[in-house]
Amino acid sequence: MHAKKTKSILITLMSIVIALVMLAPLVWLVGTAFTEPSFNMSFIPKTKFTLENIKYVWNAIPFGQYYINTLILVIVTFSVQFITSTMAAYALAILDFKGKTVIFAIIFMQIIIPNDVLITPNFMTLSELGLTNTKIGIMLPFYGSALAIFLLRQHFKSVPKALAEAAKLDGATTWQTIWRVYMPTAKPAYLSFAVISVSYHWNNYLWPLIVTNSPANRTLTVGLAIFAKSKEANMQWANVCAATFIIILPLLIAFFILQRQFMESFVGAGIKE
Amino acid sequence: MKKTKKIAALGLAVLMGAMTVLTGCSGNESEKDGTLHLTFYYPVNVGGDAAKLIESACEEFNAENPDIVVEPVYTGNYDDTVTKIQTAIQGGTPPDVFVSLATQRFTMASTGMAMPLDDLIAADEEGEEYIADFLPGFMEDSYVDGKIYSIPFQRSTEIMYYNKDKFVEAGLDPEDPPETWDELVEYAKKLTTDDCYGVGIALNSGSAQWTFTAYSLQNSTDGKMLMSEDGKEVFFDTPENVEALQFWLDLQNKHKVMAEGIVQWTDLPTQFLAGEVAMIYHTTGNMANINSNATFEYGTCFLPGNKQMAAPTGGGNFYISSGISEERVQAAWKFIKFMTETERAAQWSLDTGYVATRQSCFETDLIKNYYEEVPQAKVAYEQISVAKPELTTYNAAEIWRVLNDNIQSAVVGDATAKEALKNAQKEAEEILADYQ
Repeated sequence: MHAKKTKSILITLMSIVIALVMLAPLVWLVGTAFTEPSFNMSFIPKTKFTLENIKYVWNAIPFGQYYINTLILVIVTFSVQFITSTMAAYALAILDFKGKTVIFAIIFMQIIIPNDVLITPNFMTLSELGLTNTKIGIMLPFYGSALAIFLLRQHFKSVPKALAEAAKLDGATTWQTIWRVYMPTAKPAYLSFAVISVSYHWNNYLWPLIVTNSPANRTLTVGLAIFAKSKEANMQWANVCAATFIIILPLLIAFFILQRQFMESFVGAGIKE
Repeated sequence: MKKTKKIAALGLAVLMGAMTVLTGCSGNESEKDGTLHLTFYYPVNVGGDAAKLIESACEEFNAENPDIVVEPVYTGNYDDTVTKIQTAIQGGTPPDVFVSLATQRFTMASTGMAMPLDDLIAADEEGEEYIADFLPGFMEDSYVDGKIYSIPFQRSTEIMYYNKDKFVEAGLDPEDPPETWDELVEYAKKLTTDDCYGVGIALNSGSAQWTFTAYSLQNSTDGKMLMSEDGKEVFFDTPENVEALQFWLDLQNKHKVMAEGIVQWTDLPTQFLAGEVAMIYHTTGNMANINSNATFEYGTCFLPGNKQMAAPTGGGNFYISSGISEERVQAAWKFIKFMTETERAAQWSLDTGYVATRQSCFETDLIKNYYEEVPQAKVAYEQISVAKPELTTYNAAEIWRVLNDNIQSAVVGDATAKEALKNAQKEAEEILADYQ
């Protein structure tokens, strides 16, 4: 009993330390973004509070446009992935058809190939379709997601067949069965994939930079790069932090609001086989 | 069952179609109005203002030339820019004109990404005069096999910044900075205290090879430096270069006047401003930062020489893509000349901290007034006369990595100077074997 208590205290202490370590960069970032720039940086800034940094970077780059672009990108990409992956996962988990294992293997292989390797072939395809420098061009290669299909397939497989059969007996169509029986059980998988998809596309830099040319189609990360990559002179940390703050704010807010669901979904997605 | 499938398929098709319409299909703007649209890729390495300056310069050009529309495209840093150009070429949509590192010239020429500009220069009435006006130290690294492939644009060089107050404290004459390696050691010893190092050199990847170019040149009398002029050979393990690297190691380990280990390029100016190091090797691009933040008197001077005085140049040049129509080539040439006009190049230098690229720039009131205000900045210009292009070869990125990795292994003590450079030589020769 005593040992157990010590152990739990230790675990709590460890969690606090880890939490502080994770929090530190954020504290520094916010502090630096909102104080007057100083070459002599410290963890807790000593200079005066100011909104100038935020104002400067906001006006130096069309961040408003970039926000809209990034939001469209993230929302549309996830919505399409949601539909395509659900249908593919259902087919692979429940339906019987020829070459099922081969198709699953091909889809599964895609998880292993890093996206950066595909930049050139994807660009060539888009170029032939005349879709370079468009938002649809940024999104198109991501409309199907091997990871989502895999996650959902595992969840669908764990649904007892009897449940689906019961639904059928009650007169449910295939679509209704997916909607009413399979999708609700896979909610944790959907949520955890949403986190992965949204944060990946929110943070993706190289692909949007390469596919797009005009500010009308560019994303927040491209706006950040203009400040973060200025090493030929000196790092203007105040500007870098201000730009970073602008970019991460929506994700931060979303995380604080949806924290509980995120945690539950990850735990839920993890314990299922 | 079948019906559901159909509905689902239809629904999906409609949804995707709607998304496409919603998000707009605005690519491939056609040239309906008879104007020629040029795409111009440019990297930014000095912060947000540079992008604005380039955009407004393009607007000016477009206003002056109603038949041409230059569309500037920001393309990240130098590495991202090369990736984007390569991808765009493979996708059949190359940029017409772009800015890339001067050190990329061998790659640009050998892969056919950029075209030689000699015919354009010859056909241009003022072409010869135009080229002759560029500072030779900058123009030198535009050549591949005797042909000009690029025009100097955003160029820098490395100089020494020193803290005059610390000189006075140490009993040194603040108007008499070190001129030789021996003096550098002597001064640094006097300047080193418990909380201040005498000298600072950034030895991280991407920076070490730049300063090492200077040391290699300074220790060379026969003009042999790190590489051959044709970019196909390197001479890393010459006794002179081993001596140069040993000098760095001695600064750290023997004399203990330089911080041990690897100091980052971006940290060095901050340490200098905080008074933690008395003399630093850094780019002229940092002049504005140091000038506005120094709380002490600071001076600038040539990099100390040994057998001769020398410094490296760096930065980006204009290139024109190969394989674009003659009409586009002409327009691109016009644009490059516009961007490098004397007054504009002078203003660009003042706005960004790059060194002005043309002799005539230094006769403008802009530069003259600036030098009066910040006399320290003049050193950069004067030093160009002894400056040489930094290390570059075919497959330059790999060769840089090889040299940097091996220098670092010597700095952290895994290899002696001789072993490290021998190893670098061997690895580099393997890489360059493809180009012989």
